[in-house]
Amino acid sequence: MAAQTAPNAGYEIPPPRTEVGVVGWLTANLFSTWYNAALTLIAGAAIVLALWYGLGWVFTGADWTVIAKLGGRFVIGQYNTDAACAGNNCFWRPQAALLLVIALLGMAWGMKGNAVARNIAVGVTGIAAALAFLPYSMERMGLDVRLLLLAGIPALGAGYALARWTPLGTGLRITIAGVAVFLLTLVLLRGLPGVPGMQPVGVIYWGGLMLNLILAVGGITLSLPIGIALALGRRSNLPVVKALCVTFIEVFRGVPLITLLFMSQVLVPLAFPQDFPLNSLLRAGIIITMFSAAYMAENIRGGLQALHPGQAEAARALGLAGWQTTLLISLPQAIRNVIPAIVGQFIGLFKDTSLVYIIAMLDIVETGRTFILGNPEYLQSAKEMFVFVAIVFWIFTYGMSYVSSKVEESLGVGRR
Amino acid sequence: MTTQQLPRFLTYQNIPLWRHVLIIQWTAQIVSAIVVVALVVWFFANVSNAIQDRDIPFGWSFLQREYQTPIGEHFIPYESSDTFLYALGVAITNTVIVAVAGVILAIILGIFIGVARLSSNWLVSRLALVYIEFFRNVPLLVQLLFWFFIILALPPVREGYAIGGFLYINNGGISMPWPLPNNLAMGLIWTAIAAAGVVVGILLNKRLSRKETETGQSTYPFIKGVAAAAGIAVAAWLILSLIAGESPFFLSVPGPEGRFGRIAGGFTARAGLLVLLVGLVIYTAAFIAEIVRAGIQSVGRGQTEAARALGLSPTNTLRQVIFPQALRVIIPPLISQCLNLTKNSSLGGAVGYTDLTNVAVTMTQTAPAISIFILIMASYLVMSLTWSLIGNIYNRMIEFGGRR
Repeated sequence: MAAQTAPNAGYEIPPPRTEVGVVGWLTANLFSTWYNAALTLIAGAAIVLALWYGLGWVFTGADWTVIAKLGGRFVIGQYNTDAACAGNNCFWRPQAALLLVIALLGMAWGMKGNAVARNIAVGVTGIAAALAFLPYSMERMGLDVRLLLLAGIPALGAGYALARWTPLGTGLRITIAGVAVFLLTLVLLRGLPGVPGMQPVGVIYWGGLMLNLILAVGGITLSLPIGIALALGRRSNLPVVKALCVTFIEVFRGVPLITLLFMSQVLVPLAFPQDFPLNSLLRAGIIITMFSAAYMAENIRGGLQALHPGQAEAARALGLAGWQTTLLISLPQAIRNVIPAIVGQFIGLFKDTSLVYIIAMLDIVETGRTFILGNPEYLQSAKEMFVFVAIVFWIFTYGMSYVSSKVEESLGVGRR
Repeated sequence: MTTQQLPRFLTYQNIPLWRHVLIIQWTAQIVSAIVVVALVVWFFANVSNAIQDRDIPFGWSFLQREYQTPIGEHFIPYESSDTFLYALGVAITNTVIVAVAGVILAIILGIFIGVARLSSNWLVSRLALVYIEFFRNVPLLVQLLFWFFIILALPPVREGYAIGGFLYINNGGISMPWPLPNNLAMGLIWTAIAAAGVVVGILLNKRLSRKETETGQSTYPFIKGVAAAAGIAVAAWLILSLIAGESPFFLSVPGPEGRFGRIAGGFTARAGLLVLLVGLVIYTAAFIAEIVRAGIQSVGRGQTEAARALGLSPTNTLRQVIFPQALRVIIPPLISQCLNLTKNSSLGGAVGYTDLTNVAVTMTQTAPAISIFILIMASYLVMSLTWSLIGNIYNRMIEFGGRR
């Protein structure tokens, strides 16, 4: 048998040992030429040195007590301080909001059933549950707080079950549930006057990572549709609409966000009547959304321009109306082609939420900065603090680009 | 058919008004214009009400007033008794200097890392990937504050580090030796001649390159160009030294001075400038590296293979075949990164650098905020337009002839 299937077996010479296996890989990728070998040695030495000193610093040199000292401040800012919430019993509200979000993630997992949704849902729940076992010092962290953090696990299960075995598990309904959860979160955090346990908490006390996330979620949800509208307006053949969109986009893109934010603090109150209900959070949210929408419009315009005009012509020839051509033919393809740019803009928006320091809002970065400036004895611990903040940001931004690459894969970008 | 039942005034060109594309479009335009104009008018009415009711100052007379506030970092002479207008000019210079220096350094670092990312060496390309993925995904503000507090935690001036007696590092910044003119006029003359020498060198290089391409003979364009530029600079140095009796420039070495050990002489990159520049360059280089990588990858593989088959060395393949083609893809996003860097320099205030935004924010305490913001918005728009203009001109230069 063997002789029949491989008649030339005796003539086959195995490839030289330097071409296959570990040795082959090393030769091809690290030591192909003398300068490659030199580069490998230099880079290797740099990595070893960086790891040696870096890990040494992380485990023995660094003083991480400052992180524990601030603890909950990083997450909710001054939300539960006496000034914000007399009696310090408002901590359950951000936690209840977290449970809602976890239930929503569970619903997404239950509907999609794929690995990405599962990883995110389980990851968030796991981190929340792990926090329940951490020692906190600056924030009161009683049994109730720890139990509410652990309640994420049943909330995840409930969300999963709702999407799996009830009619709630469709994309549209989960989207509506998402918007509802966001609004409910805002109501929970803001409080309702007259309702026991729901005393109003001013937005100036909202802070920490919670503030970054609220601004980012609101900004991302609104900047995409506004950006699409602006991109379509800029490409329209109506001169007035086009001029308005171009002016908006270029003005917002030409000025730094930080300048716009400060202007929102000083000038926007002047542009509205004195009793107009416009707090600093809302102003910051609107400015960040507008700024991001202007950039988003340019990304989407790029996608629309890259689309072959034959697509729109074919749609018109098939008898689709103008709005149908745009909504059903041009936009879906244009957006699919610029997903990386759009997600890049989302990541940029999330990073930009750290700029609210200019209007004295204490987000996660500003919480750390004001603490160091107010307690100079912690000056030597500033490194540790900002490394920690950087890692927190990195986890979110890297997670976003991970999801984006998975979405691209599932939409078959680059394969059609 | 429907049109026949309709009264004439409800149709145009025999089409009902509400279905006629021209009518719909014009209605949409007029409505949106009216909405926007109404909003703007409402805002202006509110602002002018606020100006009257709350007695908020507005106007331009403040520009001639004395600013009376120190500006921490300034590259052109500045006194507190200078006017607001001049102080704004100082602030704009600060922003422009950081932007230009930052762009040059970020492009150099970005190209280096982008090429490293594509290296066939696995370790080097992984290192570049880690750099890009980390620095691109962490907010610039966090990075700036990290560097800022590291510098702030350094020992004060008197206990600072002195390396080799010419480099001083302390919480005020870094002091290093720097060439200073013995005589301003002679210094300027030499700089002008040396610049002319560089131009001559570039022209010579171009001319010899063309000759080499046409005739196929080796003319060594690069070596001869550099030699011409260096020769002119050295000759001018010697002649000016003979005429004036002293060299046009001398090397000023910093050193501690006086009772408080203040560092004098040389050039001191102060903490704010240093932190802002380092942060901006490291952050922007990560984006530029990705742009460079994408640009190089956009050039077809066949180009590399053809160039190698023609006998070009790997370096020449990259320099003369791949890069010129990749540049056309790289330039537009690169320009938008330059723009971003310029705008991101507005974070200088967080690390103690008096950039335009920082100075403007301080000015709003003693001057009308509305006027200040009109001025700084105009300044940033002019800077953005300048970058776009440079990008467009350069783009036109490197475009294929007759490509569009």
